[in-house]
Amino acid sequence: MLLDRLKEKLFQRYLVWLFRPARLRRFLKGELPCNIAPMVADKRKIRVAALQVKLELYKNPLHYAARAHERVKEAHRLGAQIVVFPEYNSLPLFGLLPGVDQMDNGLNTPNSSAEKPAISPADIFNFMTPAVMPFIDTLFSRLASAYGIYIMAGSYPLADGKDLVNRSFLYGPGGKLLGSQDKVHLLPMEVEWKMKKGNCFRHFNTGFGTLAMPVCMDATYFETFRLLEADGVDIALLPIANLEEYNYWLALRGIWPRVQESALYGVKSALVGNAAGFTFTGKAGIFAPLELTSDHSGVLAETENPCGDAIAVADLNLEALQDLRSEHPWRDKNPAILKTLNEAYRLL
Amino acid sequence: MRLAALTLSGINLSSPAEYCLSLKKTLLETEADLAVLPAYSSLLLAFSSGRYDESPAFCDLLNEMPPRLEQWNEEFLSLHSELAAELGLYLVPGTYLEVCNQNIYHCACCFNPEGRVIAVQRQTHLNREERELGFSRGEELKLFKVGELKVGLLIGCDARHPETGRLLALQGADLVLHCGALDAGVNCWSQAAGIWAQVQQNQFWAVEAPLCASMAGRIFAAAPIIHGPCEITQDKSGYLCRRYPGDPYAAGNINEAARQALKKRYPLLGLLNPHAYGALEHS
Repeated sequence: MLLDRLKEKLFQRYLVWLFRPARLRRFLKGELPCNIAPMVADKRKIRVAALQVKLELYKNPLHYAARAHERVKEAHRLGAQIVVFPEYNSLPLFGLLPGVDQMDNGLNTPNSSAEKPAISPADIFNFMTPAVMPFIDTLFSRLASAYGIYIMAGSYPLADGKDLVNRSFLYGPGGKLLGSQDKVHLLPMEVEWKMKKGNCFRHFNTGFGTLAMPVCMDATYFETFRLLEADGVDIALLPIANLEEYNYWLALRGIWPRVQESALYGVKSALVGNAAGFTFTGKAGIFAPLELTSDHSGVLAETENPCGDAIAVADLNLEALQDLRSEHPWRDKNPAILKTLNEAYRLL
Repeated sequence: MRLAALTLSGINLSSPAEYCLSLKKTLLETEADLAVLPAYSSLLLAFSSGRYDESPAFCDLLNEMPPRLEQWNEEFLSLHSELAAELGLYLVPGTYLEVCNQNIYHCACCFNPEGRVIAVQRQTHLNREERELGFSRGEELKLFKVGELKVGLLIGCDARHPETGRLLALQGADLVLHCGALDAGVNCWSQAAGIWAQVQQNQFWAVEAPLCASMAGRIFAAAPIIHGPCEITQDKSGYLCRRYPGDPYAAGNINEAARQALKKRYPLLGLLNPHAYGALEHS
């Protein structure tokens, strides 16, 4: 037992050394451009990129960094001013854990306690946090700064003190971390992992409109987008990692209806593919109120295939969004219904 | 239980008597235990059966209705009451206008198989046109029983306001009935953004009955649909039965045991996080 703990400590120290930001900075120094000027904001044309990221397990964190850089470089080449990475964006780095690539049932929690593994997903996330998160912070800060763009770095299962949270991060064009957002609505699986849910939604005023970054399941609930709309959010950046076989209608249930209910733009990035017994599917896409899409579909751009690497790019017009909000043809408010609804929430 | 959504497409509207005969035939075809008619049904029958001296524009139809309203409502509702009793089904006869304390409400009701009114519901959210016409909002959403099911009624653009479905769901709704009327056009997405989305985030059944008719220069058309949660519909589409706009009805049987099992397996309402919703009250 003592020996096991010692091995665990040593391995964690090894990971911290392997992921050390200084090593990453040296690597990026030779890779990143150094003369790109930040893009000018035009509220009638903000170009956003939603990434669809194929889950691959890496044995070397610098390979992960190189791949993230390739994605940002491509999005920048396409003119993107805001780039969005998916949920559980650190999973590829779990390839450094011995035996992960041979796992065939992922980190799925078994149904009966008799099947409970010695190590829980929460243990793994907690174990990886001290090594992985400084690396992630350095990586996305440098990428945002080098390309002069906003990067929503995706979300990460991580230890915050004694709590496990699923947290997304936003970096500004200067490379500054503008803020984070904890997932407010958890999946049943995350509840089983004893993850702590967020208790509010944050928003970030930028030259490219007011941004927010709810996480995956948050888009299952209209309340999320009503709160964002009330905060004046123009663009919701949503990272997802859907653990289910792809089905058009199941996939439609998240951000698309939310964007229709509460007039704002939605940018959805998706983690896809198989690794460590996980199967993720989903299409990255960019969504708008029906009234702001020429074919009234509510879809500005979407990747073609729910598997594999891809990128969706579209232009958002914040002035048109404001016009729609102020002259909306069917939106209404009923204070009496809202009051009753709030009373119903209090009974939960 | 078998549910049906009717559009009034193909129904003979030349007189209340012809309407009854024609509607009876369609209702029998559906073999439904519960049938829902679309919004503006009362107005359409009044207009088509010559209750107006001239042919006014649609907004004038609504404006001119109140003076003769009480008598017409009585006639309209009693013919549907008799139909419900004769056919032994639950029947939502679409919508009618009601004046109360000088306020105009857009209402729906439900008759039981004995022909008695068991629920009346006022539209709670109004679109821009309805507000400009001076309609007032209903201030409550209540459930009523149809057999073992708890049922709620929504009207018009209530469908696009998710507060309505959530409130009904938190009160325990198993089934939501919607009387709608959308201007003809590409409506598949607005329908998906309405009742379909409400069903998926609340895990109840729904009957969506949109008007398919032309009246006073306006053409209405959308698809009649019986909705269920994606997981318990055959192709996971969330559509138990969806017909084309212009089809007279959609009908389907619901499997309540499957819905209850889904709710247990994936308790969406149980995963709400009301501690984060404080600001909603003031939004």
